[in-house]
Amino acid sequence: MSKNQTKPIDPVIVVTLGVLLVAVAFALIAFQPQSNSIGIAANSGTLTQLMVAFVTGLTTGGLSCLAVQGGLLASSLAHQIEQDYLGQSAQNKKRSKKGQTAVARSNTALPIFLFLLSKLIAYTLLGALLGWFGSFLALSPVTRAVLMIAIGIFMIGNALRMFNVHPIFRYFSVEPPKFITRYIRKTAKGTDAITPLFLGFLTVFIPCGVTQAMMVTALGTGSALMGAALLFAFTLGTSPVFFIIAYLTTELGARLEKFFMRFVAVVLLLLGLATLDGGLNLMGSPYSFTNLTRGLTTSASDSGTPASAPSTDLTLMVRNDGYFPQILTAVANQPVVLALVTNKTYSCSRDFVIPHLNFYQLLPDTGTVQVNIPAQPAGTKIFFTCSMGMYTGAIIFE
Amino acid sequence: MIKKTFKIPDMTCSNCAMKLESLEDTLEGVNEINASYHRLEMVVEYDETQLTEEQIIAAVKKKGYQAIPV
Repeated sequence: MSKNQTKPIDPVIVVTLGVLLVAVAFALIAFQPQSNSIGIAANSGTLTQLMVAFVTGLTTGGLSCLAVQGGLLASSLAHQIEQDYLGQSAQNKKRSKKGQTAVARSNTALPIFLFLLSKLIAYTLLGALLGWFGSFLALSPVTRAVLMIAIGIFMIGNALRMFNVHPIFRYFSVEPPKFITRYIRKTAKGTDAITPLFLGFLTVFIPCGVTQAMMVTALGTGSALMGAALLFAFTLGTSPVFFIIAYLTTELGARLEKFFMRFVAVVLLLLGLATLDGGLNLMGSPYSFTNLTRGLTTSASDSGTPASAPSTDLTLMVRNDGYFPQILTAVANQPVVLALVTNKTYSCSRDFVIPHLNFYQLLPDTGTVQVNIPAQPAGTKIFFTCSMGMYTGAIIFE
Repeated sequence: MIKKTFKIPDMTCSNCAMKLESLEDTLEGVNEINASYHRLEMVVEYDETQLTEEQIIAAVKKKGYQAIPV
């Protein structure tokens, strides 16, 4: 009977589930810019940011959290579940044998649910605290770029560590202090409902790389409410993946963990590279992957709005899916006026940054904002980007 | 009490170190375990009258890892 309850689940099913979740997330991202018809009002930029946080949690956040917190907490929960199961079995033996399986199953899910609920509350509070703290700090685009680059390197280092590329990358894994791990372990021995609740709360002390990145974003919001909402959305996003995997890990143990870590490493590597690239874009670096490959991609993406002859009056369409045209040509040695035109623009492209000029402004969702650019010598290339370093473009002075 | 160091080559993250340290609670005769993912090793302080090296290796194996005495 007990063999029936610990029947192994094919790892392929688990990976398929993971891939499915990633696919759903990508679909959400892909269809998000076309969500204008929903008629979201003035605060839609906020909603977009929360949606991005949720999707990040659903995809990479859940996996990354699992890499850092999963092993310890799943095994801790397994201990709790084991205790519950043994207790239930002993009781049920005295009763009818029919209800035994059902009772054990419900007990497996409950501690994980309590754990995730507690984690959600803890991170929401942390988000509020970070947002509140951030209101005292003005994170300039350069500071944010440096943070993004650092986070990108951290993620890439962790991915290479998971691939076991070189022993040096093991130092990218932050080992929590012994007294914390010892305390968590001792707490995990409890078998009451308070234990998973408390453990969930303690996860704020062992955040994963993606969570740390999201924490920095919460700090950057400069608002307790927004910081709380952001980490709530993110942690809520991580919950399904975490729940499924934590549930299955209790049944599969280390075998699944090792198998799944490779998948996590690939995702983490891609995310790390994207974050690093975003950071470099935000710094206005010509050496970001996006800026280095712009020449290869602009002709196709700029269709319909070709770059015209050099001018002192430039117009840039700020759309949900980026900036058009991506390359503008300006007259050298003369001041230039750049008109930024938005029309129902709700994506992060509204957060417009010109790193070279230290210019940063949140554009209205519909309207025109003019930027005065001082005279630049011929051959100068000024890059512009959104505040996340996702959408980019350049002005070339001739 | 003696202190013995074991190499654990198949640790994959710092959680593995935490898992190994949890042997403190289950292995009779263990006083303290300090595992490090960075160094891929585990230092066990134990009472040799109550516990043998082989028993430690077997307990580590049960956790899913290989322990090699240094």
